[in-house]
Amino acid sequence: MAFKTPSLSFFVQAECKTTRARSGVMKLPHYSVKTPVFMPVGTQGTMKGLLPEQLEDLDCEIILGNTYHLGNRPGTDVLEKAGGLHKFMSWKRALLTDSGGFQMVSLLKLAEITEEGVKFKSPYDNSEIMLTPEKSIEIQNCIGADIIMQLDDVVQTTYQDYNRIKEATERTSRWLDRCLKAHKRPSEQNIFPIVQGLLNGELREKSAREHMTKNVNGFAIGGLSGGESKDEFWPMVHLSTGVLDKYRPRYLMGVGMAIDLVVCVALGVDMFDCVFPTRTARFGCALTSKGQLNLKQKKYSMDLNPIDKDCNCSTCKTYTRAYLHCIVTMETVACHLLSVHNIAFQMRLMQKMRENIENGTFPEFVHNFVNELYSNGNIPCWVINSLKSVGIHI
Amino acid sequence: MRFAIRHTGCNAERVGILTGFTRLPNASIETPSAALLTQSGSVAHLTAEVLAKVFSNPQLVWVPLSNSAHLETGLKAQGESLAKFIGLSESVTCATLHCMNDITPPGHFEVDMVPVWTKHGKKMINAERYMELMEVFKPDILLAIADSRTTLTDGLKRNTKAVDRTCNMLNICVKKYKASNYLKNSLLVGVIAGTGTMSKCKNCIQNILTYREAIGGVALAGLTDGTEESLNIGIDKLEDIFKDINKALPNDLVKFIDGCWSPDVVVTAIQYGWDIFDGSYPAKLTNAGHALALNFDVNQATTELCLLDLNDAKYKEDFRPVLEGCQCLSCKKHTRAYICHLLNTREMLASVLLSIHNLHHFDQMFVHARNNIASNTFVIYKNHIVNQYMEYKQMQDKAKENVEKPESESEQAKKKICVSNEPVEA
Repeated sequence: MAFKTPSLSFFVQAECKTTRARSGVMKLPHYSVKTPVFMPVGTQGTMKGLLPEQLEDLDCEIILGNTYHLGNRPGTDVLEKAGGLHKFMSWKRALLTDSGGFQMVSLLKLAEITEEGVKFKSPYDNSEIMLTPEKSIEIQNCIGADIIMQLDDVVQTTYQDYNRIKEATERTSRWLDRCLKAHKRPSEQNIFPIVQGLLNGELREKSAREHMTKNVNGFAIGGLSGGESKDEFWPMVHLSTGVLDKYRPRYLMGVGMAIDLVVCVALGVDMFDCVFPTRTARFGCALTSKGQLNLKQKKYSMDLNPIDKDCNCSTCKTYTRAYLHCIVTMETVACHLLSVHNIAFQMRLMQKMRENIENGTFPEFVHNFVNELYSNGNIPCWVINSLKSVGIHI
Repeated sequence: MRFAIRHTGCNAERVGILTGFTRLPNASIETPSAALLTQSGSVAHLTAEVLAKVFSNPQLVWVPLSNSAHLETGLKAQGESLAKFIGLSESVTCATLHCMNDITPPGHFEVDMVPVWTKHGKKMINAERYMELMEVFKPDILLAIADSRTTLTDGLKRNTKAVDRTCNMLNICVKKYKASNYLKNSLLVGVIAGTGTMSKCKNCIQNILTYREAIGGVALAGLTDGTEESLNIGIDKLEDIFKDINKALPNDLVKFIDGCWSPDVVVTAIQYGWDIFDGSYPAKLTNAGHALALNFDVNQATTELCLLDLNDAKYKEDFRPVLEGCQCLSCKKHTRAYICHLLNTREMLASVLLSIHNLHHFDQMFVHARNNIASNTFVIYKNHIVNQYMEYKQMQDKAKENVEKPESESEQAKKKICVSNEPVEA
């Protein structure tokens, strides 16, 4: 099964016989990315203190940049002169940028959304700026990421007003057309439309169906992971992956906790991004298959084990929990060490899922994963229900 | 531990090699060289993985107690060595009291105790406690505890106290050192204090030399308390001290110099026979967003200043490496514009890339120093470095003047307006 265009080809290599999970390769202009994939977030053209070669060593194949931040600093002038973000930050593999719309709404209280675009006051000089779909694409064309996002009309996920949600969903479709029309580099960059509709199944289905009619190479599922309950969250993912065709990659925005990754891969998602692994690293938290360790805790002060003895990252090979305990939240080196470990954890989890999908053992993997994480037996209802919806009975 | 001098140049400059470390039988440190300064045991901003990309050979790492005393609990539990605990097993560790990049406040002394200024406040420490900590840290080299943070402007009274205290503490250190099964295999370094008063300083040296059988090196301190004034004391004054004190010391001792000294001071000290420096200077540059860009080729004219302030917006679109031709990881892959952006956005990678470059480049200054000593051309090299630094200093002073002038003018203008407004408002 293959989907081929000059800027993106997607080869599904194996499909799980029970769930919707699949593994594949997404060939992008800068790199061929194995899916399902987790994409770490490097907001301002850098991955929180890690060198590009460290990310390569960690097997990161695609990372994120934020259009809003990069558009401000270093700015499109500099990026254009540098020859795009890849060259500016010396990253040879694939990149994805968001539309900038999310930051407008989340960071700026003064944002006003009209049919034309998002109007907001610049936090730098207080001038009024209008981010239109055309402008967002213009900046993203300049940044030059392999995958770029349409500007969508962002509403807080837990927002209740039906009319506003309907307006936002429909406007997102209209803005998609404007984005596609404004796109100057279709042979090098792929615009992904964003399925909206928040927690309203009817609107979300309509949004997904409409995006399906467009000439695009992949889809994003947006408007989730914004404070809603897990019971509300997973049916929306399930619904979206049910409508979107299986020939093109599906990207679920802003999701990165281990259990969410496992469930959503089972629901048929191919791509994820989240700031969580690197953010939590800065607070001294390390990820393991049994949950998180907060290394600041006194109980680690004499613990001579690595974070995870089964982890083969450079941090676990060299450093003890006792030493990390001494430096977390104090030295930048501690952030780097935990970011390396946490990204390695995410990458290993994705790799294990790919292997199990290819070996036809994905349902068994999910069983084991859930049982290890919730070794106390308290498996959350949403995990049981979501997995049941794709044929795994925990 | 063995120290062999391989070549001595026209003055007192010399190339040597430190070998025979009990923990690392195959390691060798060539001198003159600089250590890598650590914070909480790690080279600032660089993980062991990244550090291995910068240096392939074993390095000397400098571990000040003031920023690493909190490692004690973990180290005790581990029971092996500091080097292994901090993830730098292949490095030679050198433990000392103060971090030279910190300013030590004056005073706060008690009889036979010195204050250590840690992140968690002041800690009073005596020689017994210091050696107890060393027993836990198990460094390969240890500087004796000393009252070492005085400046050349300190008077007789202060220096007398500093020397008395330092001598008393050394006596205890030596006793504990000889009695310790682990430590007696490491290199003990006596610290020269009271340098502002030469007669007192000589007393301190005499005391150190009474322990010739135990002591393998000396460290020259008592020059700076970390303040800018003490570091800007002037090369002429320092030159005399480096020369005089070196003359008062036997040749076979390894000679350390404490302090965040700029390249001109470092090469001058090398000329007078000083071997090892603490490495705080490149760390200080990195923290300020500065990059060192010395030209080591004496046959090549310098075109740019030897220090770049990458915070400066003029580098925003400068897509050259920090230093053309530099073989460090940062220069081979990244640009001034990128580092400028990272500094501007306060991203941690700025410090990582600057550390990589500054540590590599500072180390290269020593590599070239050794090569020039070996080929008897050191003085030419030294002058080449001193001149570059002087040029930078002059430009900086000029820039300061230019900044200050308009400010004072505008202040005057403000005053005038105030004065003229007063009657109106009244």
